[in-house]
Amino acid sequence: MKNRFQNQSNGGINMTPMIDVVFQMIIFFVCTAQLEQEQFSEFIKLPGSPNAPEMAQEKDPRTITIEVDGKGKVSIARTPLSISKLRKILNKTVADYGVHGPSIPILIRADGDVRHGNVKQVMDACTGAGLYKIAFVAVKDSLK
Amino acid sequence: MKQRKQKRRFTGADAEIELSMTPMIDVVFQLLIYFLVTFSTADVLAHLDISRPSPEAAQTKPKPPADMIRVAVMPEGYAINGRKVTEEELASMLKRLASVSTKQAVLVTCDDQSVHGKLIQALDMCASCGLSQISVMSGK
Repeated sequence: MKNRFQNQSNGGINMTPMIDVVFQMIIFFVCTAQLEQEQFSEFIKLPGSPNAPEMAQEKDPRTITIEVDGKGKVSIARTPLSISKLRKILNKTVADYGVHGPSIPILIRADGDVRHGNVKQVMDACTGAGLYKIAFVAVKDSLK
Repeated sequence: MKQRKQKRRFTGADAEIELSMTPMIDVVFQLLIYFLVTFSTADVLAHLDISRPSPEAAQTKPKPPADMIRVAVMPEGYAINGRKVTEEELASMLKRLASVSTKQAVLVTCDDQSVHGKLIQALDMCASCGLSQISVMSGK
């Protein structure tokens, strides 16, 4: 009787700790995978551009992404900025990078419905800081 | 004898020793449903590279060279080389000009009041024709 009981408990592997660990890992990966997206506002409706070249998977780590939402509000990484503040930040970043400063790529994620005047201010702030590598972000292919 | 029988039923029942799968399957289904609901396919993003004349340079050089393709984006439509055109006409004209050479410089002037989407459309047309030397200037 006792023998039979021991056989059963030793024979089968206890799955519970393994499942616990696997779930922890799943949650960890899900959380870290979404961090990248969290940097950008989801309220920006990017304009469509089916013919433009696709964004490279590996972009320059120095890239600064500036967002302009539908109301013309400017932000970097969800932090709202005034134009004068943006100008200061860009000037400081360019100064910090020294010789490599002016080649920092700028990505502008502007809402399709925003007036060009608001985007222009951002571009002027960039060129004012000496940055010339400016690109607009658009949706090439929407799967929705 | 009676006591032994009870004990045997308690320890020997297979269902009590085996791992109960039901709660785990419940949780896995919950997770599955959660991911299905929150899943949103990421859009494929594109980039439209432009160069922009610096504000000082724009003031010292008010008139762009004549050999450039000049595209104007206005709230009410487009213009190419000073002539008002519709979207289709602009696309076909750009295609014709691009067939000569894709190395030509394109100067896109955008009105402040025009929406950003229209500028992107114009830039998209240039990209589809293979024109890559694009500068964006902002008019009043």
